[in-house]
Amino acid sequence: MGALFGNRRSAQEPLSPVTKKPKPTSKIAAIPLLSEVLTRPVIFVSGKGGVGKSVVTQAIALALSRKGRRTLWVELEDPLKPRGQLSKIAPKLWRLNCDAEMSFEEYALLKIGDSPLARMFIDNKLMRYLAKAAPGIHELVLLGKIWHESSRYESVVVDMPSTGHGLALFQSTKNYATLFRGGPIHEDAEEMILTFADSGKTGHVIVALPEEMPLRESLDLDQFLMEIFPKNRATFVVNRTFPKTGVPANIPADPTNWPSPLAENPLDYLNRRVLLEEHNLRIWRDQELSFAEFGYVSPAEAHTSAAIAEVLSEQLVTGGHL
Amino acid sequence: MNANVDADMKANSIDEILKRRRIIITCGTGGVGKTTVSAALAMRAAQLGKRAAVITIDPARRLATSLGLTELSETPVDLTRNLREAMPSHKIDGTFSALMPNAKANFDDFVKELSASKTIAEQIARNPLFQIFTKEFSGTNEYMALERLQALDLTGQFDCIILDTPPSRNALAFLNAPKLVAELFEERLIRWLVLPANRLLSAGMRKALGILEKLTGAGFMTNLLDFASTLFSVRVQFLANFEKTTRLLQSEAVGFIMVTTPTPEAAPDVHHFVRTLQEHRFHFEGLTINRTIGYLFKSTSKPNQATSPGLPVLEGIRKREEQAMRALSSGNIRICAMLPELARDIHSVEDLLYVANAFETHHAQ
Repeated sequence: MGALFGNRRSAQEPLSPVTKKPKPTSKIAAIPLLSEVLTRPVIFVSGKGGVGKSVVTQAIALALSRKGRRTLWVELEDPLKPRGQLSKIAPKLWRLNCDAEMSFEEYALLKIGDSPLARMFIDNKLMRYLAKAAPGIHELVLLGKIWHESSRYESVVVDMPSTGHGLALFQSTKNYATLFRGGPIHEDAEEMILTFADSGKTGHVIVALPEEMPLRESLDLDQFLMEIFPKNRATFVVNRTFPKTGVPANIPADPTNWPSPLAENPLDYLNRRVLLEEHNLRIWRDQELSFAEFGYVSPAEAHTSAAIAEVLSEQLVTGGHL
Repeated sequence: MNANVDADMKANSIDEILKRRRIIITCGTGGVGKTTVSAALAMRAAQLGKRAAVITIDPARRLATSLGLTELSETPVDLTRNLREAMPSHKIDGTFSALMPNAKANFDDFVKELSASKTIAEQIARNPLFQIFTKEFSGTNEYMALERLQALDLTGQFDCIILDTPPSRNALAFLNAPKLVAELFEERLIRWLVLPANRLLSAGMRKALGILEKLTGAGFMTNLLDFASTLFSVRVQFLANFEKTTRLLQSEAVGFIMVTTPTPEAAPDVHHFVRTLQEHRFHFEGLTINRTIGYLFKSTSKPNQATSPGLPVLEGIRKREEQAMRALSSGNIRICAMLPELARDIHSVEDLLYVANAFETHHAQ
């Protein structure tokens, strides 16, 4: 057993001398345009917490459904909505609050057939415990549900949990595909990873804000995703950028040269914000990373997430992304 | 919740909270600036003369970056000198340290520590489920953060520890994590898996396991049984530890602060969080509202007639902030601090000081 489950990564590495990691631009799959990614049947929207992933997901789903595509917008275990609820929210647009426990049941019934024996299996206390506690099962069944649903819709757009937990969904599934042998769960995990790694079938969107931490973390996320899906590079979106304006010359362009981190008044804040965004976006530009942009929707213009998604979905069209 | 209801109803300033509690746990969703607030709290405590430490479990090294360091280590790094240099005119009696335990290695280490047996360590090393569990089980990071907190507290090196909880979608994840981990160790269920005699007791159970084996393949079942028996062998120590952690969190030594941004949508989360804290019998100290822009509009600097296309956006954000303040302060939610949105990212102890000083200014208002 030990040898079989040894460190796979080191076993897979070529036996060549240690070389530096290649720069993201060479050899690695090129970054696709958002417009191209949006044509793929499954779209995962990932990013750090608080960057507006949910509203971007909703905007993409809305825009796709308006283009006439039968679209499913997936949220993963939103605690404020009923578990597993599927609702039609607009013409051609459905929303699912995916739930792991319900997906596990559904999966088991699908595999062993709906019979008294199957019911007994599902109701078995130990099985319920395992579905919750066995490492990675939770993540596996959530992705499995998305994979399963994708055959019923033309587009499935998934609001992923924030960075670490989002990656765990993919990593667990990959682990099941590589660490175990035999059995339908292993086979399905393998099939799922193939689907999500295929740039013809699945798109990955990374969302960030024009702030330093989200931009930097998005690069880490990109690296991790590339390790799991080497041939299916994500596309990048920066959300909530302020309108670009000219800035008085007396403010240094590099924010680290400002005497204080505080702004003096609204206009001063806006001037500094423009410089700060430019300064921060260099983190992406230095990597020769192309990206799409969503302008900040003023809360005065739209203050519910549905209303913001509405404005952003228009931005998708006017920006030529759809 | 109990005898100190009266004391709890009174709004406390951050300084009062820091004087009253030995440990402060900051909670909140991702992106609200929890790490910044945590570091600033420890800094403030040092200004008040405490030997303060901020502990963070964060794969993204946010704390290191905002302190202007490239990385932090498992052991506390003393940053008191940096703080003194940043405010030369002040006499700082306390100390200010920061540390960042490695979350990834921890659950393995923890089980190994619990068991103190070579066989267990070997079982863990060869079982892939432990690798999956350590990296991906939601709750492990949170649980390990508490373990590290407790260990640091026991050293007696610090009289004020700020715990920056791991990033998560919702603040409740942190509160529920220990219970989630504890459920894993729930004795009766593991016993079914581990003790063959018990498994044979029920034909139904045997059938269920048969189906599971068919679904997952033989390799998985072998590893799962191995995984369960490893957990089983350390369960007594684990549950004793778990109880100790819960008692510490419920004790007078520990206070919770929730960090949020000024948006009305945050209000239901905040109310839910405070209710859950009370159910756990933990002490809620108040809400810190971060990244507020109201101060920009109160400024006394000369009025500027110029305008900008960004102004309507900023005005909209200001109105939303006002709505949020009403929504957040409804019920009996106490606001213990309001911190300004900064015009640039934080990269130094000097910048963090602006945040730490805002704690004082808020109280003065």
